[in-house]
Amino acid sequence: MSPAKNSDATTTPVGGHMPGDPDKDELIERIIRVDQAGEYGAVRIYAGQLAVLGRGPKGDMIRHMKLQEDHHLDTFNTMAAERRVRPTILTPFWHVAGFALGAGTALLGEKAAMACTVAVEETIDVHYRAQIEKLGDDERELRETCRKFREDELEHRDIGYQHGAENAPAYPLLSRAIKFGTAMAIKLSEKI
Amino acid sequence: MTAAAKSADEVKRKRDAKRDAIVLAAAPHVAFDGWGEAALIAGARDAGFDAGTAKRLFPEGAVDAIARMAAIADREMIKAMEAADLNAMRVRDRIIFGVRARLEFLTPHREAVRAGLGVLMRPTHAGLMARITHTTIDEIWYQAGDRSVDFNYYTKRGLLAAVYAPTVLYWLNDSSEGCRDTWDFLARRIDDVLKIPPLKAKVMNRLETLFKDGPFKMGPFRRAHGDVRMRP
Repeated sequence: MSPAKNSDATTTPVGGHMPGDPDKDELIERIIRVDQAGEYGAVRIYAGQLAVLGRGPKGDMIRHMKLQEDHHLDTFNTMAAERRVRPTILTPFWHVAGFALGAGTALLGEKAAMACTVAVEETIDVHYRAQIEKLGDDERELRETCRKFREDELEHRDIGYQHGAENAPAYPLLSRAIKFGTAMAIKLSEKI
Repeated sequence: MTAAAKSADEVKRKRDAKRDAIVLAAAPHVAFDGWGEAALIAGARDAGFDAGTAKRLFPEGAVDAIARMAAIADREMIKAMEAADLNAMRVRDRIIFGVRARLEFLTPHREAVRAGLGVLMRPTHAGLMARITHTTIDEIWYQAGDRSVDFNYYTKRGLLAAVYAPTVLYWLNDSSEGCRDTWDFLARRIDDVLKIPPLKAKVMNRLETLFKDGPFKMGPFRRAHGDVRMRP
């Protein structure tokens, strides 16, 4: 048994637990479910981009990002299986939607693809940050995983900016639409 | 874990043990009294408790007791599956083993199960019915070694639910020796269901061809005219 001081540490939101909030097990389940779904979607987005830009000059860079996302997905797949977390029922939808988003923006041009990366990764950053705040010391491993992955996602975002994301056609509109879609996807995948 | 948490755990464990004893003792009475206060009180008396204990441990009465009975059956099923050498079996046989282990445990309580299903079939209890069934089916797949985290999670559970429910209904009225007919029925249903994935693969292949080659190069047309792609 660990010393009493640490032993009381539970995973509770910083602002305190409110009635109607998910309990600890439910919270962890939601976190793993949505992260697994998110990384699944990310892999599909990059696969979509690669289908269009794979042979272009940006191919290797996108492949590098996709490799990292593959690793993230593997990690969450293992975690979900170990902890018996039900995967989101929307998987087939993310399979198609992710690829369509990646390929669709890539067809608008390299810069639009980068704008898509930036918009998605920025939303994911906010999402991971909120999760890291919610996780207590008893879930250190999961918290560290989120932290590490968040850094990778930030790297992807920076790559996007460096390669002219902001010069994409209709950038503000594109960015907001994708961010809205990603945030919706996160909300849905947490619960169903 | 703190001392307080530990003793709370201990209290819960004792409580659950009492609940199990009462439900199992009540099950024979259910055949005559149905799931309800009468059977639970009789069960409590048989298990050495008073009527108040039964009411206290099952505040919702029948529904609580039925849920507990299902949990006990799941637990026994898991025990049997863990003790068996599942690795030596095909997945199909692991599933059969699980379903069979659960029903064999419940065979002495068949009338209680029949009455319990009667209660769970009421629309107000649809949620509980779904939860109980899902727990059982999820447990069987998990013990059988399924660790899928994609949509297969749902298709597998859906297919097993489609096998499990009719098997239970068949078993309820099976008067054959040792429920032999039920196990045959179960094996046939599983074999039926196993025909679905190859069929699905065939359909998906067809669809892929459609997208790759266009709608005019599929099926009988291509066979009648040879491989169109060979033409220059």
